[in-house]
Amino acid sequence: MLWKLSLTGIKGRFKDYLVLFSGLIMSSAIFYMFEALATNKDFVTSNSPIGMAAIVFQIGSVLLGIITLVYIIYANSFLMSMRRRDYGMFMMLGAKGRKIAQLIAAETLVIGTAATLIGTAIGIGLTQVVSQFLLSRLDMHIKHFSPLYLPAVITTLIFFIVLFIIAAVINQYQLLKTPVLQLLHDDQQPNRIKENKVTRLIQIVLGLVFLAVGYYMMIAIATFQVMGLVIALVTIVLGTYFLFNAFFGWLLMLLKRNEKLRNKGLNNFTLAQLSFRIKDYTKMLALVAMLFALALGAITVGIGYQNEIPKIADSASAYDVVLNQPTQKALTLTKDLKGVKQTATYQVKEDAKTVYYRTAQLKQTPLLTMEYGKTGSVSTETKVRQVPLRELQTGDTYLFRSIQVPSQTAKAVKLVSNEVFAQIAAPTKVVKTYDVQDFSANLPVIKKLYQEQLKANPELKANPEADSSKYVSYKMANGVFSGLEFMGFFLGIAFLAMLASCLMFKILSGAASDVKRYTMLAKIGVRQSLLKQSIAKEIGALFLLPGIVGVVHVLFGLQMFKELMIDPYNQIWIPFSIFIVLYAVYYVVTTWLYRGIVLKETKFGE
Amino acid sequence: MDTPTVVSVKDVQKTYGKANEKQYTALKGVTFDVQRGEFVGIMGASGSGKTTLLNILSTLDKPTAGEVKINDQEISRLKGNALADFRAQEIGFMFQDFNLLENLTAYENMALPLTLQNVTGKKVREKITTIAKTLSIDAILNKYPTELSGGQKQRVAAARALVHNPAILFGDEPTGALDSKSARELLDTMAQLNEEQRVSILLVTHDPFSASYCQRILFIKDGQIGQELVRGDKTREAFYQEVLDTLGTFNH
Repeated sequence: MLWKLSLTGIKGRFKDYLVLFSGLIMSSAIFYMFEALATNKDFVTSNSPIGMAAIVFQIGSVLLGIITLVYIIYANSFLMSMRRRDYGMFMMLGAKGRKIAQLIAAETLVIGTAATLIGTAIGIGLTQVVSQFLLSRLDMHIKHFSPLYLPAVITTLIFFIVLFIIAAVINQYQLLKTPVLQLLHDDQQPNRIKENKVTRLIQIVLGLVFLAVGYYMMIAIATFQVMGLVIALVTIVLGTYFLFNAFFGWLLMLLKRNEKLRNKGLNNFTLAQLSFRIKDYTKMLALVAMLFALALGAITVGIGYQNEIPKIADSASAYDVVLNQPTQKALTLTKDLKGVKQTATYQVKEDAKTVYYRTAQLKQTPLLTMEYGKTGSVSTETKVRQVPLRELQTGDTYLFRSIQVPSQTAKAVKLVSNEVFAQIAAPTKVVKTYDVQDFSANLPVIKKLYQEQLKANPELKANPEADSSKYVSYKMANGVFSGLEFMGFFLGIAFLAMLASCLMFKILSGAASDVKRYTMLAKIGVRQSLLKQSIAKEIGALFLLPGIVGVVHVLFGLQMFKELMIDPYNQIWIPFSIFIVLYAVYYVVTTWLYRGIVLKETKFGE
Repeated sequence: MDTPTVVSVKDVQKTYGKANEKQYTALKGVTFDVQRGEFVGIMGASGSGKTTLLNILSTLDKPTAGEVKINDQEISRLKGNALADFRAQEIGFMFQDFNLLENLTAYENMALPLTLQNVTGKKVREKITTIAKTLSIDAILNKYPTELSGGQKQRVAAARALVHNPAILFGDEPTGALDSKSARELLDTMAQLNEEQRVSILLVTHDPFSASYCQRILFIKDGQIGQELVRGDKTREAFYQEVLDTLGTFNH
């Protein structure tokens, strides 16, 4: 009998469960994808750049796991809070607490398992699409890659089921310690809390101080290292909480004091709704702001790394293309290079110990080299420099590295006059260098040229690590950063989906108690358009506030990546726009659903 | 003194259900008028059609046939915004369960109909102070509904219904959720408002005691007006007895 009741309970809340369900499906699908890409042996062992990406995906799946735990505990206890009345009723009818506990555990597990199974199935499809995309991006072909990878399926299932068991235990505990009477009248409990001005002021100050400390830690991450990261995490979470608990309430109070604003249309009602909500939603909004920051941060950093690829490649070598003993085909191909800025030809002879260059040629077109900044790390200080002849004559072989093949780098270098060069008994080799306007635009040609280089110099193929050409650096960077980009992107989307569903969830479940208010307003003659406006403003503020806080968090958080990236703020509008558009879609959907619930009974007889 | 008609109901019918489905006729041709300054009661048992009638009068529902005029405006022709504006300007409501917004103070609840018409802050304050004095709720203006008693809540609701000077005040069992003392006080106040300020009131109730405060009572049964009682010069107690006697015969 209880089972039947429980099932009807779920049916009655189907819409809410659907939101939770889709969030879980999304999370498990992405988790599976990360796992499949990170652990699939066919994928990982085939090539080193992908091997790098695999590590990145493994880190991603751990992060996703942590955040999913938070989401499940939150969403579940929330769903429970909606069903507390049902459970209270069962208990009043004489059901034992233990029986109810079993019921909750079973419900949670059934929903969780179903969501995980569906999610894994979707994840397999997702893996297929993403892996293809990733492979074509990394320019690779794998024969036996199957998106269905059993160990990943098992990991996903076990991981999620453990999560649900934890969630079920927490639910039971929370429910069984609440008195039956309170369960029954949960929705009628007055939740107006008297504001203490001093407490509020303290909280506002604390919140701002915490945020300032957290931001400072992130800016000065180089000094504080891991300690700074931990401190930032704690203080920013606390600061965000206080901000929502006190600061925004205070802001609304200020708005409410403005008589002109208050006396216009429904503003007073909207403000009252909001201040009531913000109080009620404090933890929720703080969580959303944090998740928002994490999600946006993940996408921004992910896409930021993608932007880094050409820069990393640029800083690896001063030349876009270096051809050692170019084949005929390669020479023909060079004609396809677009926007060639500079080209040079050097003749080379070598014996067992020495490589000879012609002084005249090096004087005519000086060698180029990378000039790194003082820190020695990749930074904006890195630039290309022409090497004057006398510097070359000091015998620093390092300067020649970019135009040499690996076997030459160990040998001494000698600059000789044309006459001496002609007398050296060795075949003349030719090295040609090219610099183009836009490396990325010329990639297809450069790739073909690289293939020709491999043919002309078999030693390059034997040890690609020693190849210092720009194209090889590009390929390595692409392997790491494409992985990072994908992970950032999917983590970001998964976080966004979870945070936005949490928020949507919370707002929608409050809708039932709002129906009465909106119906009443319509009865006393409030226009539909005004009601809609009020709803749009109210929900808009609930989405906007954590959004703004999240954006500010990210803008400061990117400071941490200054050490790792050349410019973490480069083209920041791309991830921000993607994210804001998705977030806005959630806002529109929430408003639409909410309207559907609360305005249902306001169109009298029409 | 002329007494123009505030509410005019002519042969109003209301049928629920579509033409090819099982239909139910809630109102079968109701006709009556309410003059300005009148206090009219509509009585009837559950299912008699009185709620349907009130919904139609208050523009929350549309009649299938017939005509309803409030303040000389044909309300069944109004739509959308015009309809909402009409409710906001011409009608005041009191409900059984008060229908106050619990997240606004008494003052803010009362100010709502005025802010909807964009009345300026100063005027809002003046009007609310006046009406609050009349209803003796000036001491509780800054409290939230949860802090008020049922009687106080209904007074706030009455103040909200009257603050914008509507053409008519509709009461849907306003004493239904009140204890007998609060109910009596509220009815006294309503009668006083009617006498002193000439507020037109239409009260729907099934409670003979509430009805005895009216000047005229229409008895509705099975969708039709069956009987009409006029208080005239009788005392309220005598009228109450008459209502009871009428109900005794009318409902059976």
